Amino acid sequence: MSRSEVLVDAEWVEAHTGDPGVVLVEVDEDTSAYDKGHIPNAIRIDWKQDLQDPVRRDFVDRVGFEKLLSERGISNDDTVVLYGGNNNWFAAYAYWYFKLYGHHDVKLLDGGRKKWELESRALTKDVPNRPATSYKASEQDATLRAKRDEVLEAIGKRNLVDVRSPDEFTGRLLAPAHLPQEQAQRGGHIPTARNVPWSKAANEDGTFRSDDELRGIYGDEAGLDFSKDTIAYCRIGERSAHTWFVLHELLGQPNVKNYDGSWTEYGSLVGVPIELGEAR
Amino acid sequence: MSNLNQAAGDGCGAPAGGVSASAATNAGSQAVVEGRVVRGSDPVSTGYARLLGTGGEFVAEVPLGDDGGFRFFAAPGTWTLRVLAPGGARADRSVSAEYGKVTQVEVTV
Repeated sequence: MSRSEVLVDAEWVEAHTGDPGVVLVEVDEDTSAYDKGHIPNAIRIDWKQDLQDPVRRDFVDRVGFEKLLSERGISNDDTVVLYGGNNNWFAAYAYWYFKLYGHHDVKLLDGGRKKWELESRALTKDVPNRPATSYKASEQDATLRAKRDEVLEAIGKRNLVDVRSPDEFTGRLLAPAHLPQEQAQRGGHIPTARNVPWSKAANEDGTFRSDDELRGIYGDEAGLDFSKDTIAYCRIGERSAHTWFVLHELLGQPNVKNYDGSWTEYGSLVGVPIELGEAR
Repeated sequence: MSNLNQAAGDGCGAPAGGVSASAATNAGSQAVVEGRVVRGSDPVSTGYARLLGTGGEFVAEVPLGDDGGFRFFAAPGTWTLRVLAPGGARADRSVSAEYGKVTQVEVTV
C-alpha cells in the first residue's frame, strides 16, 4: 500500500463526495457529533452499536456486517472514505474492520473531522438517503487480528507495540477514571512491549506524519525490528488500529496485527506475565 | 510525563460533545483544569483544547463544547494548555493542577 492509495485529503473529498461509487462515512467516539454537522453526503456508522456484538465481547459477525453495510447502502465495489474525530482513532478502527471483512477500497480522510473543522469547511445536518444494497463480506482475515494466545506466544519473539500513554504503559493508570466498567484488573504492560503512544504518529492537525518521520519514530527511536512480525495493542483496540494503519497501510509492513482485546483483556487474564514501569 | 486521568470517552479521548463550561465541577479528589475559549465576548464552539506535558508531548485533546468549554482531569503539576480554532487561531497557556482543586482558565483567541 502507498499513502496515496489509503489516504485522501479534503480537496479530494470536496471534489468526489457526490460521485457514484464513493461513500463517505463518519465514525466517531462521540456519536452525537454527526448530528451537529457532518461532511455533506456522509453517512454514519456507530463504532459500538453498529460494529460490536450486543452480547458477547466481539465484533458483529460476517452476516451482521453484511446486514449493516447493506442497510447503509454500501456496495462491495464502492470506495469507502472514513473520517472521524479524535485524530481518526475510530475511523482507523473502522478501516481495520472493513479490511478484516475484505472490503477492497477503503481510505481515510487525512486529519479527519478536526482538520476539516479547523479549515472551516462545509458541514451539514442533512442525512443522505442511500438505497439498500446486497453487501457480501468475506470471512474475517485472520492475518490482521491478534487474539490473546497469539499475544502470549509473541512475548520476546515479535514486536509488541503498546500505543497507550506512558502512564498506562508503566501501570500508573489503568484507564480513565470515569470508565471503571472497562478497567482491567491489573496495570502495566505485556513484557517486552515497546511504548510508542499513538499520538507520535499524528501531527497537531490530526494528519499522519510523513513516511520518513514514521520510520524514524518506530524504527530508530522505538527500536522496532521491522524484520519481525508485529502486534499493536492499547486499551480496547481503537488507538492501536491507528498504529496498525500506520505500520501496515502507510509503511507497508507485512504481518502487523491489531490485538483488539488489548489491555482490558490482557490485564484481566489470570496467570499471565505483566511488567511494570519503563520498558526493559 | 506525569500521570493523568484525562477527560475522556470510551477510547480515552474526547468527552461526548465537548463539555459545558457553565456546569459547576466538583473536583473531589481530582485535579481539574477547565475553562472556556472566547473570541471577543463570544464563545468559540468549534475548536480543540490540547493538554501537553512539560516537554510539549501530547497528553490529551478534547473538542470545545457549545459554550467554548473544555475540561481535563489532570495529575498535579504544570501543563501547557493549547487551543486550536478555525482560521489558524492558536493560543498556549501554562496551567497548574492540584488534587481537589478546579483550575479555571479562560483563553482568548
